[in-house]
Amino acid sequence: MSRMRVRKLFRKTRFFFFALFGLIVISVSVLSITTVSRELSVEYESNSRSIAQNIADSSVDILLNRNLATLQSLIDQFVQIESIRYIYITSETGEFLAHTFVPGIPDEILASDASSTATVERSLPGLGDFIEVGAPILSGVAGTVHVGMDLELLGLKIQRAIGAQMALFGIIFVIGSLLTFWFVNLASQPLADLLAFAVRMAGGESATGDEPVLSRDDEAGELARLFVHVNRRAAGADRER
Amino acid sequence: MKNADGTRARGHRPNGTVPALTRRSLIRSGFASLLAAPWASSLGASMVPGAGASAARGRNASRPPQDDEIVLGVSAAFSGPSRGLGTELYRGSMAYFNQLNENGGVNGRRIVMKLLDDGYQPDPCVANTIELMQDENVFLLFNYVGTPTVTRALPVLKTFRDQQVFLFFPFTGAEPQREPPYGEFAFNLRASYRQETAGLVDNFVRIGRRRIAVFYQNDAYGRSGWAGVREALARHGETIAGEATYTRGTQFSASMRGQVEILLERSPDAVICIGAYAACGAFARDAVDLGLHIPVANVSFVGSENMLQLLQEGRSDPNSHTRWLVNSQVVPSYEDTSLPAVREYREMMAVHDPPPPDNVARITEGEPYETFPQSFVSLEGFVNAKLITEIIRRMGDDPQRSGIEEAVFAVRNYDLGVGERVSFGPERRQGLQRVYYTVVEGDRFVPLEDWEAKFS
Repeated sequence: MSRMRVRKLFRKTRFFFFALFGLIVISVSVLSITTVSRELSVEYESNSRSIAQNIADSSVDILLNRNLATLQSLIDQFVQIESIRYIYITSETGEFLAHTFVPGIPDEILASDASSTATVERSLPGLGDFIEVGAPILSGVAGTVHVGMDLELLGLKIQRAIGAQMALFGIIFVIGSLLTFWFVNLASQPLADLLAFAVRMAGGESATGDEPVLSRDDEAGELARLFVHVNRRAAGADRER
Repeated sequence: MKNADGTRARGHRPNGTVPALTRRSLIRSGFASLLAAPWASSLGASMVPGAGASAARGRNASRPPQDDEIVLGVSAAFSGPSRGLGTELYRGSMAYFNQLNENGGVNGRRIVMKLLDDGYQPDPCVANTIELMQDENVFLLFNYVGTPTVTRALPVLKTFRDQQVFLFFPFTGAEPQREPPYGEFAFNLRASYRQETAGLVDNFVRIGRRRIAVFYQNDAYGRSGWAGVREALARHGETIAGEATYTRGTQFSASMRGQVEILLERSPDAVICIGAYAACGAFARDAVDLGLHIPVANVSFVGSENMLQLLQEGRSDPNSHTRWLVNSQVVPSYEDTSLPAVREYREMMAVHDPPPPDNVARITEGEPYETFPQSFVSLEGFVNAKLITEIIRRMGDDPQRSGIEEAVFAVRNYDLGVGERVSFGPERRQGLQRVYYTVVEGDRFVPLEDWEAKFS
């Protein structure tokens, strides 16, 4: 018995499935990009500020002892932290007392307000983009610590987080699609059998009673049996005429 | 892991370099793992000076100190771009200890150096210091090399202060081991960077070169010298005219064009370099090539002979890049045979010609190290050894750590034979004060007699 496929009936179902999935993916992605970006940025800035404050607190005695070698040693240890790209410490008069720049202090930083502790974003030619925070040493009377965090690294972290989500969505999409096709085929099988049976009967074949669709106990089976019954009644009426 | 000769090769790197730490690895590993870091490579053999370095091969590095010897713990640069400093300092000391031990040692005890390589990197130095104090039970620490390393090792000494282990005569003129809160754990022989840079600045200002720029290693050492220049200029009413930096471990093959261009923009009259020989040599080379024809000064840590070798090697005119160099030194010229210590040094170096530490040969395989018959660094190692021997001699037949400080403070007006008498005391933890200035003449550094004639 040739199998007939029921495509048209489920076309809308499949369209609806993909449309709904796309909507979920887009809305969740937008939400997660916004959330992850905001949360990571906040965490980044918070960490930077904590580190800057930590250095500022540790620097008081060192600065009062005018021990700049130890001060440099201190910031050299902090700059080994992955996301920190530069640190510089300025005196209360704005003089650069210690820093981690090679081959020199960028002009943009030389020109900036050394006593400012505000969070600023900097783009330094040849170095990259940074978010810089400041922390006062002894309320600013002994100087200011500035810590620059790598924005590219932050971007990379956001990309990684979003990428992981996208990968998860992709896997769910592939599995969902396969399951949908399988389920639609499974659900349409009785209808396909019924359609094939009806086509054969319309072609003048008489039902033998062996057709599998006649033994089904679902709606397709009842419809098939009803077709047989109607067909037989129609055949009896023809003979009486 | 053990080498064929039985010495340990912990962290042994065939190319002779101490691997760079990644930031990620530092965060992950934390301090605890730093202490066990594999690159805190042990050079293994405890040298047996009387028998020469070669006889030390095959000895177990961890053997406990013997009754008839005094063990000095050394963590220094025996690999990497600054290995010449640790090696020459060691050779100078070995020349003296070899002679001493061949003649019965001090109060019947031989002096032995336990060597660990830190590659001039702070974290391995910290690990080495703990190992020397905790595992090797050394009598004292000796001949450490470098400011970034010593600066980080000092807190270890303070942490284990009850053990009364002192650091003697580190090869650095920085302030942290001369001032509170760590000054009480170290004794210095050489003059400080503050004194060296002050002398250079004063002489430059005297001949009318007032706009002075600084090229420095961007770490505690460079900052120490930078601070010295800043302070000295302030006394003349001047500020630093310009500054450029480089990263520790930079090789001679690196380009210093960026640094030279930064300083060219500031039009300085002179540049004071606070760095190691490879990077300072590269800077001196590129300064001449790019038209920065002004005096380029280096402090003693640079390792003058190592730098000169790099600048002259393979050049048709060996002095094309050395005309503007002026290096400050903290020991007199090794050519000045009027000084008894210099005569002794030359004689003992000629007799013993100590080879580099034997494991260095393996670490730097493919990069043979060429020793110098004489150098300022090995002369400093020699006088360091001579003075520490005198201090130990004053401690009698049964030297104890608890008696070290008293023995050092008893050194008053001691004639070391370098033309300057040495004194120590509770408020005086630096033995020598004099700074010498040298320029290149032919294939060596010679005393600079007339600044005006040379640079005006």
